Amino acid sequence: MKKKYSITSLIQNSLSDNENWGKMWRSPNPKKHYDVVIVGGGGHGLGTAYYLAKHHGVKNIAVIEKGWLGSGNTGRNTTIIRSNYLWDESAHLYDHAVKLWENLSEDLNYNMMFSQRGVLNLAHNEHDIKEIKRRVSANRLNGLDTMWLDKKEIKDLVPIMNTDNLRYPVLGAAYQPRGGVARHDAVAWGYAMRADELGVDIIQNCEVKGIKTDNYKVEGVETTKGFIKSSKIGVVASGHTSVLAATAGVRLPLQSRPLQALVSEPIKPVINTVVMSNAVHAYVSQSDKGELVIGAGTDGYNSFTQRGGYDVIEETVRAIVELYPIFGKMKMLRQWGGIVDICPDASPIISKCDVEGLYFNCGWGTGGFKATPGSANVFAHTIAKDEPHKINAPFALSRFSDGRLIDEHGAAAVAH
Amino acid sequence: MILIKCPYCGERDQSEFENGGEAHVIRPKNPESLSDKDWGEYVFYRNNPKGIFYERWVHSHGCKKWFNAVRNTSTDQILKVYKVNEKRPDLSEFQNTLKSPSGEPSVGSGNFAVKK
Amino acid sequence: MSAINNNCQYISKKQVKITFDGKTYQAYEGDTIASALLRNNIRLVGRSFKYHRPRGIYTCGIEEPNALVQIISEHNEPNTRATIKRVYDGMEIASQNRWPSLKYDFGAINNILSPIFSAGFYYKTFMGPKGFWKNLYEPLIRHSAGLGKPPKNFRSKSTHQYHNNDVVIIGAGLSGLAAAKKFINTKYKVLLIEQDSYLGGVLKNSNKVKTINGLTPQEWISETEELILNSKNITVLKNTLVTTYNFTNHLIALEDKFAGKKIDLNKSELTLHKIRTSNTIIANGHIERFISFRNNDLPGVMLASSFEKYIHRYGVVPEKEPIIFTNNSSSLSLLKKLISLGCKPKAYVDSRKKDNIETEIKKILRDSDISFFTDAEIEGCDGNKKVETITIRQGKSFTKLKSSMLCVSGGYNPDIHLFTQSKGLVKWDKNILSFKPDTPFQKTITLGSTSGNYSFKKLCDEINEKLSIFKTKKVSLDINLNVPNKFSIKELWETKKKNNSNWAKSFIDLHNDVTTKDLKQAITEGFDRIEHLKRYTTNSMGTDQGKISSINSLAIVSKMLKKEISEVGTTTYRPPYAPLSFAAIAGRSTYEFYDPERKTSIHSWHLKNNAVFEDVGQWKRPWYFKASENETMHQAVQRESKMLRENAGILDGSTLGKIEIKGRDALEFMNLMYTNAFTKMKPMTSRYAMMLGEDGMIKDDGIICKISDQHFIATTTSSGAPKVLADMEEYLQTEWPHLQVYLNSITEQFSTFNISGPKTREIMMKVFPDIDFSNDAFPFMTFKNFDYKETKIRIMRASFTGELGYEIYIPPKIGLELWEEIFSCGKEYNLIPYGTETMHLLRAEKGYIVIGQETDGTVTPIDLNYNWMIGKNKKDFIGKRSLSRPDTSREDRKQLVGISPINKKDIIEEGQHIVELNELPKKITNPIKYLGHVSSGYHSPNLNHSIGLAMIRGGKNLLGQKFFVTATGKTKNIPVEIVNPVFIDPENKRLTS
Repeated sequence: MKKKYSITSLIQNSLSDNENWGKMWRSPNPKKHYDVVIVGGGGHGLGTAYYLAKHHGVKNIAVIEKGWLGSGNTGRNTTIIRSNYLWDESAHLYDHAVKLWENLSEDLNYNMMFSQRGVLNLAHNEHDIKEIKRRVSANRLNGLDTMWLDKKEIKDLVPIMNTDNLRYPVLGAAYQPRGGVARHDAVAWGYAMRADELGVDIIQNCEVKGIKTDNYKVEGVETTKGFIKSSKIGVVASGHTSVLAATAGVRLPLQSRPLQALVSEPIKPVINTVVMSNAVHAYVSQSDKGELVIGAGTDGYNSFTQRGGYDVIEETVRAIVELYPIFGKMKMLRQWGGIVDICPDASPIISKCDVEGLYFNCGWGTGGFKATPGSANVFAHTIAKDEPHKINAPFALSRFSDGRLIDEHGAAAVAH
Repeated sequence: MILIKCPYCGERDQSEFENGGEAHVIRPKNPESLSDKDWGEYVFYRNNPKGIFYERWVHSHGCKKWFNAVRNTSTDQILKVYKVNEKRPDLSEFQNTLKSPSGEPSVGSGNFAVKK
Repeated sequence: MSAINNNCQYISKKQVKITFDGKTYQAYEGDTIASALLRNNIRLVGRSFKYHRPRGIYTCGIEEPNALVQIISEHNEPNTRATIKRVYDGMEIASQNRWPSLKYDFGAINNILSPIFSAGFYYKTFMGPKGFWKNLYEPLIRHSAGLGKPPKNFRSKSTHQYHNNDVVIIGAGLSGLAAAKKFINTKYKVLLIEQDSYLGGVLKNSNKVKTINGLTPQEWISETEELILNSKNITVLKNTLVTTYNFTNHLIALEDKFAGKKIDLNKSELTLHKIRTSNTIIANGHIERFISFRNNDLPGVMLASSFEKYIHRYGVVPEKEPIIFTNNSSSLSLLKKLISLGCKPKAYVDSRKKDNIETEIKKILRDSDISFFTDAEIEGCDGNKKVETITIRQGKSFTKLKSSMLCVSGGYNPDIHLFTQSKGLVKWDKNILSFKPDTPFQKTITLGSTSGNYSFKKLCDEINEKLSIFKTKKVSLDINLNVPNKFSIKELWETKKKNNSNWAKSFIDLHNDVTTKDLKQAITEGFDRIEHLKRYTTNSMGTDQGKISSINSLAIVSKMLKKEISEVGTTTYRPPYAPLSFAAIAGRSTYEFYDPERKTSIHSWHLKNNAVFEDVGQWKRPWYFKASENETMHQAVQRESKMLRENAGILDGSTLGKIEIKGRDALEFMNLMYTNAFTKMKPMTSRYAMMLGEDGMIKDDGIICKISDQHFIATTTSSGAPKVLADMEEYLQTEWPHLQVYLNSITEQFSTFNISGPKTREIMMKVFPDIDFSNDAFPFMTFKNFDYKETKIRIMRASFTGELGYEIYIPPKIGLELWEEIFSCGKEYNLIPYGTETMHLLRAEKGYIVIGQETDGTVTPIDLNYNWMIGKNKKDFIGKRSLSRPDTSREDRKQLVGISPINKKDIIEEGQHIVELNELPKKITNPIKYLGHVSSGYHSPNLNHSIGLAMIRGGKNLLGQKFFVTATGKTKNIPVEIVNPVFIDPENKRLTS
């Protein structure tokens, strides 16, 4: 590691008036040819490049980003991390990520501020309870730390929560103590810095116009900075993945939807757990800065505007005020939107396709951030070996024709 | 919030409607004759363009009628609404305003507010 | 240093008392907290976010970055802008982010350590040893961050109001009022929105304008306001701030109903206006920006126009002898006003060259003998928690002067926030050194200084030209000014420091404590994109969104990067314009109005009979009935279940979805929608049916009554009803428009009672003596229509409990009457009411499935051994093709089975999993393989042991085999046997006899 960060380096640099920190990454001009080109400079893409270089010895890699690092969903999400998914395939994938999260700050020597403050998923009716209890039991067998909490235990964790005096009372919750939040931008920066040190070219402000193929084989990418030749291309462009895939003649089962989030003004610590609720739809955590970070549901139509409907904001805030009445006296500081690509079964695609040398890591829908290190790690494996890691093998494109879906709609079914 | 002109009721808030995804996807007449792959395509695959998109809406909190719309997904501007039994308007009807490689027009989308 | 009062018509003579940090102060009605504090010579009002530096009042409006306070008397509302919030008698206010006191704040140690706390420092440290982040560093960071304390004991009350307009004018200053004048008594429906409680904007905040059309500004405002108020087509909203400009001219504006008054807890505090308009005119003016210099955050530094506004709008002169520092021509009016009040500024520091400075300024300064520094700048200021001395640099010489206040003007920015929210494009204007609106995306017009027009003289033409699209009369504005009409400015964003100390700070973002040095550092580290830089340094991410400083930071950054500002671009302006109350967004639809409660016609009876309810979708359904005060749920359900199988029970099934399907092609339609075949089904019979998605997975179930080939009635699950109807409509309208079928939801048109148990027939015969309920006349799965008290009712023989049963469909109007009649008839047969829990238990004993319990979106009818429900000869139905995909036709899919404990005392818990191990390790590190899960688990009172339904891998072939079921909190698993899922009456004798 060339740049070593610590309290010592902070003190040393303060003596030189913080003028000598040096660049965290280079800004190289693209070369004519790379062994692997990653399209998308978010956490997943930069992480993929990092693991390709670090674990698979790939030397000649470029990450191409149309905006700035982390300018897509990496910098737009509500930073929740958990792995308490129902199906084994998902639990394994997401817990692979959580385990990497647990050492990521050390691994990259960059503080991701991974705060394992625990995640609550609330139950508001009998159907929720049944669904959650089943999930808790399945998680247990998969070695996850999910547990069932009753109302009193929830109150102890989140005293400001209104559990009784609301339309759909809080009846219990799933709790995963190892879950939590992290500093989202830092993930992109940390991976970028260390990937750059391993020789990865990070090319910002360069948009991929199309993927060139010949006879079901990739040849390279056409970009705003010229054509770049490569025999392996990994596309990790979240909302825009299907647009890029279309240029290679590949159709993906994705729909791009707006997903909105908002933050309040900063206040002193008031809620120390991440709380999610499906029936009273909102999720909230408090950032280290003191802002309440609140997530909404997706808008119900395709859009690439990074802007959703105000009705979704209203619906979310309504749920927040319902669950935490004192937050009525708080104010919304900022709202924004991202573009998420949603799969029919609400699970991602980390897969090869019919075009040789073309790999996709997409379809993360509303929950991709939590998977960042895990996704990057298995995607790097998939690209390097040209075959999936056993963790991402179930997340292949073929599942949409053979029917082996991983339906993570959670409470997809209805109550009787 | 988009304002949608229901062909039966007139302009209403988008919250009165539900989106039905891509329009003009016809359910196969004889599903049994399709391969697994082709059937999977019908069930799970829909176009997802950045730019001109033919889509379906239903005025679910109104007349409950389904209709089609042409919308630019990079600005959310609705360019045309038409009834289900009307002909699919030709793409050439909608002037191509897509400027950048991924289809972002200079005004109305994205996050770049400065005129270049 | 002492403030003086100025005569001011906007402030009443009425004195009010407020407290700040426990001390009482006198203020006037109409004061903001800030004007009241300034009136009382309070300069220090809070501590900064990161370094806990002392901070004062910097501005006089919504742009305030520093003066945020906590309103103790309003549920401890945090982060309230002192420059906006009006006082009232008894208001209690506290300063924020300090401990133990504002004067002596422990957190100020951060300022001493500040050289280490450089941009992004937290990414570079706090990484070890393990556990320290969670237990030490993070709690420490969290406690020192955040501003105000959380609110207390609050339940919101606010309302929403909707508007549909032709024109909305945002801002009722000079341009807004003049624009509104154009619409007086026209056909256009206009909404004029003003943030302040008075109209007039710049006219009341300064004395820049001498006369308009021969009237004094005040006379002109009054005359115009009267004309507007008398014009029926124009509505005026005061104390209302437009915060959000959405797509298709959808605006959100927030009205403070209690501005300057104590809040009445019984009334709605805020009104959120949701506005749709055809055209939007933005005329909300400009915001003055500051200049970065050493210690430009000390209490006592204030924007010049804000200082001026305090004099005019609030009647308080914060300091008689301030120093004025400017790089432009606009500060002349402040100078003039101060002199007219007999105050004499200590010095006037202008960064422009003498030749470029307006003659009038030079003359006044000479005449009044005021120290005048041209081509000069403020190097910095010093003092203990307040400005005491100010250092002026002129060429190479430095002059130190004493004053307690420094008025700064770094120029003006058109307030483009709303315009960019609307997705319009802005352009850099070299004359005003700022971004101004260029290409609108929606029907948006900007006027006056918002559009970058800083000339009063040109305003009239601008309005007439831009509003010529509306066919209205031209306005005329003959404006006489006290100040030069031409705006002149010299570029200056940051002044040079005398000594480069590690601790010397010139701030670029006062709210988030970002210094110009932080920007520099971020750039050297590679954050050379403005959005990137913003995220790394947190520049302009505070609650003020950098209103007075964001353009400055763009300018400084572009200089560092040696790029044009237009190339660097702006960061995204995100809604809302200013922090927007959550209570207002939520409006009235919280608590009891969060979601409607749907109740059946029998609800009052349930209440009287001690029903405990469960929420099923929006419905309130009886879950179980308490026979006595102390009866537990378990006891009640066991009792109800046993009583029903012995005698009879009745369930209010009115919530069940009911859809009427009618028309020429109803039969064909039903054959397509459901798995079952309906062609050979006889009229007046019914059938249990399933509906799949195109993916082949079960979506809903219900009983279908066939009246004829042209007429069916389908029941659905309670919460699935709307979706099923919507799906049917969708297919009819979009896929099969050639089918002539009409659908109707009749859920609310019929109350439904499910009565079942061995004594049911006797009870029914007693209730309906004219009807023949014998097995031959009324066999299982048939239905008939009857008259009951002159009303048509339908009775169907069906059962979800496994016992003899009937379902009665009756109009809700007489539902309760019949229900009570059934009870009086059923008394001698020990008829009991039962709830959903007993229903679920009884059906589980019978092996019937529940959608959402046995199914979870991944289950096909074949998985449930319901092959008989699939119309094999049908060419097509929704989902049919998916059933033959490789994965759906796998033999080892999860299939429905029954499970029974080997040791009859063991309890099988729902949601637990079936494994091959009799014991689990205490800590599971490697995933344990399981066969499936318990989808339903109950204690059966009729078998007197625990039973379960389970979905397990290859279950059909595992009958009789032994496995284990996991148990909550235990490592020891429960041995079970895989059995037939039908525990009671597998021969269906009870159903059919």
